[in-house]
Amino acid sequence: MNAAVTIPIVSLRGVGKSFGANRVLADIDLDIQKGEVVSLIGPSGSGKTTLLRCVNFLEAYDEGEVRIRGALLGYRRSAAGRLKPETERIISEVRAPVAMVFQQFNLWPHMTVLENVMAPLTLAKAMREDRARALAGEALARVGMSAKAGARPPELSGGQQQRVGIARALAMDPEVMLLDEPTSALDPELVDEVLEVIKSLSRAGMTMIMATHEMSFAAEVSDRIVFMEKGHIVTLGTPREVIHQPTHPRVRAFLQPWIRRSLNNTTMGVAP
Amino acid sequence: MDQPADGAHVIDFVLLGQLLPVFGAAALRTVMLTLVGLVGGLVCGFCFHALRETGWRMAACVYQVYTGVWRGMPFLIHLFIVYFGLPNAGISLDPFAAAGLTLAVYGGAYFAEIFRACWQSIPRGQIEAARCMGLPARQIFRVIECPQALRASLPLIASQTILLMKESALASVVTYPELTMTAGKVVSAQFVYVEPYLLLALCYWGLSLLINLAARALRARFAI
Repeated sequence: MNAAVTIPIVSLRGVGKSFGANRVLADIDLDIQKGEVVSLIGPSGSGKTTLLRCVNFLEAYDEGEVRIRGALLGYRRSAAGRLKPETERIISEVRAPVAMVFQQFNLWPHMTVLENVMAPLTLAKAMREDRARALAGEALARVGMSAKAGARPPELSGGQQQRVGIARALAMDPEVMLLDEPTSALDPELVDEVLEVIKSLSRAGMTMIMATHEMSFAAEVSDRIVFMEKGHIVTLGTPREVIHQPTHPRVRAFLQPWIRRSLNNTTMGVAP
Repeated sequence: MDQPADGAHVIDFVLLGQLLPVFGAAALRTVMLTLVGLVGGLVCGFCFHALRETGWRMAACVYQVYTGVWRGMPFLIHLFIVYFGLPNAGISLDPFAAAGLTLAVYGGAYFAEIFRACWQSIPRGQIEAARCMGLPARQIFRVIECPQALRASLPLIASQTILLMKESALASVVTYPELTMTAGKVVSAQFVYVEPYLLLALCYWGLSLLINLAARALRARFAI
């Protein structure tokens, strides 16, 4: 392997984040290589979402370093070696390879589906209208939403809105996608259509970091699983190591209810 | 039923008819004053709001002082300062200009707060999505926030416009012959009360209905 290949797309070193006295993220070391799918699991409030938000600087981390393709995100070193906040423009440039899919979709309700996907292209990337329209059309086709291009988000089901959210991220041609509990706000019967889309992305080689409570799905699509609690990474490894044969007692306790449910459902083919 | 010869009906419809053209002209002046207050106020309020949205700390202070002072005192006091106070500084305004200007700046303070509230009603996530897609703040303001927040502000602006229209009655104090001053003149000249004040009330109410109608039409026009 040559050196260029081993530069991770996302690299976190000693990353921490506090809200006042509450340290919600601490000592996070994590490298994401191109093509990897990494799932963050753990109890609510364990810092999964905050970790994702630090990776695209929606949250300003206050310890350590986040690097995107080797470039420091959000800060620059002053002559004295201190970290200083970077300008909004440079932050945008550094995080350009990163796209995010939100738990609450966060579509813009006053625009049509097509406009939602086109807007970042024409505005942030200053792309020509016809080219943006073509790319947006492709992205919508990939998530199976072409038929709803003219609809407005409030007219769509949650699952459809999330697929548009994914299309909007895809159209930006990102190198890594962050998915923040993409199915947690959905009715149970709408979860599968979104998971199917995410699965197709992973098959296509998209690099993804996903916070999720869908254990079976995480085990199925991920190359690595990160278990977090109280802002720390407790353990990380392959799905086999972390989910199927967990050795860490805390992870076992966390997964116990899911394993029990899965065993009851073996006839439905979702055994761990 | 015998009627008193001095014409003491409950309502003298003949007099009412005679007063109509006078009140019509006065209503037009009230409309002009309200329009100046509305347009000037919207421009003024939006500018102060946009200034605040820059996030510049000094701008937030300026905004606070403006909305605080102008909403914190009665309209009449502001009008006195503008009409009677500014001449001391060498700025003399005629009654219409003084009342219009004061209404605009006074209304602007309320409109600015309406804009601020409507901007805050936009879910934070929409802005975050735009930010992490690389949209600069100015584009987020123009393309994501303005269309939604301005639409949401329409009913509040209509309500505030009705308040402005009623506040314009105080222009009578600086001798601008709008509706209220006209009614007062009729009262003192002819010693009748019911007819001019009834007309006055009906005129204001009718104007407020017109404002509501216009707002509804605008909302339908700009519905999502």
